[in-house]
Amino acid sequence: MDNQPLPYSTGQPPAPGGAPVAGMPGAAGLPPVPHHHLLQQQQAQLQAFWAYQRQEAERASASDFKNHQLPLARIKKIMKADEDVRMISAEAPVLFAKACELFILELTIRSWLHAEENKRRTLQRNDVAAAIARTDVFDFLVDIVPREEAKEEPGSALGFAAPGTGVVGAGAPGGAPAAGMPYYYPPMGQPAPMMPAWHVPAWDPAWQQGAADVDQSGSFSEEGQGFGAGHGGAASFPPAPPTSE
Amino acid sequence: MPDSDNDSGGPSNAGGELSSPREQDRFLPIANVSRIMKKALPANAKISKDAKETVQECVSEFISFITGEASDKCQREKRKTINGDDLLWAMTTLGFEDYVEPLKHYLHKFREIEGERAAASAGASGSQQQQQQGELPRGAANAAGYAGYGAPGSGGMMMMMMGQPMYGGSQPQQQPPPPQPPQQQQQHQQHHMAIGGRGGFGQQGGGGGSSSSSGLGRQDRA
Repeated sequence: MDNQPLPYSTGQPPAPGGAPVAGMPGAAGLPPVPHHHLLQQQQAQLQAFWAYQRQEAERASASDFKNHQLPLARIKKIMKADEDVRMISAEAPVLFAKACELFILELTIRSWLHAEENKRRTLQRNDVAAAIARTDVFDFLVDIVPREEAKEEPGSALGFAAPGTGVVGAGAPGGAPAAGMPYYYPPMGQPAPMMPAWHVPAWDPAWQQGAADVDQSGSFSEEGQGFGAGHGGAASFPPAPPTSE
Repeated sequence: MPDSDNDSGGPSNAGGELSSPREQDRFLPIANVSRIMKKALPANAKISKDAKETVQECVSEFISFITGEASDKCQREKRKTINGDDLLWAMTTLGFEDYVEPLKHYLHKFREIEGERAAASAGASGSQQQQQQGELPRGAANAAGYAGYGAPGSGGMMMMMMGQPMYGGSQPQQQPPPPQPPQQQQQHQQHHMAIGGRGGFGQQGGGGGSSSSSGLGRQDRA
């Protein structure tokens, strides 16, 4: 796989000079990342993601099977919606809980690329539709997410987030301070474990530091429902973070 | 923070079996899906509600897609129970090869832990019927739970395994569910969901003791 030509990738700036970039060194002079570089970054990101998942799966412990990210009863109910399905072993919903987590992560990573190309900071439905259209293995979803709207959001105002918006977005408890930085900032003392092999990914997703930093930004999310305890769905293996153990 | 109020009444936050079909039962809870999505994005990214709901639908379709393939294989081989290996085979067949390696490790670990549970507690309920979820005995469960947590107190998101509650000490506020049902009934499903075409469907509940308390963030869908 091709390596990124850029020595450091800070992702794609919203626009050169189009947004305040205080605190981001050299960003003003950085040209927008071309499309094929974004694709390379996506490939690097996905490779790092799968490599990490292979490592993480070997560290599963008893607590991981007690505290699934997804409810087993609901998974079983969805499985049994097919009238041909008769009996389901105990391990099947457990396995699906992990498989669905991988599926959600992969689909979201691929969707985010489309949002980036449109210079948006909010993932939209048509980003998911674009990811499905571009990925062969997701063909079974084309009827679920019809892509009638090519440009659902004509203005990309959200893409040029002002520092104030950044403060709101990053003000969630547990989040790193990102005020004034419209894009990508280094993780909180957690170097990416796959950095030597894959160069710097396009962004630093939380799945690499899920053990150390569970997302608790429910109060700032856009969904209308509340969250329970933020650590209820604690990431796998909290006592052994994936880096520098 | 706001919380949906479409689950008044009913057992255990409506994660359990209800006699009438529910729209929300077709999907995994949007809060869980949303939390996982955030792990894949930079911290200052936002996710629209449309995107969350779309991924919710995609996940259910993923489950049905894989399950359908695994079920077909079981029928060809004249077996009645779908197990983990059938799901892994189906994922390989349907193009999800990347998923299989981490899931094999995961399944291997699960079976190891199940083996430990069986050794620690001979005659445990896991052997009574295949569809039940195994669970560590009380002492072992507490030990494992505390080993895996920096701090207890995640009761709000704890889940009940099918037919069996978890007895972790960190769940004082959770109501103990009814005792394990004697046997889980095989309910006849009234509807068939075709891949690629989704209509409304009803699903009859089975096993009175089954429930899930992680229905937080339940959404209202018209």
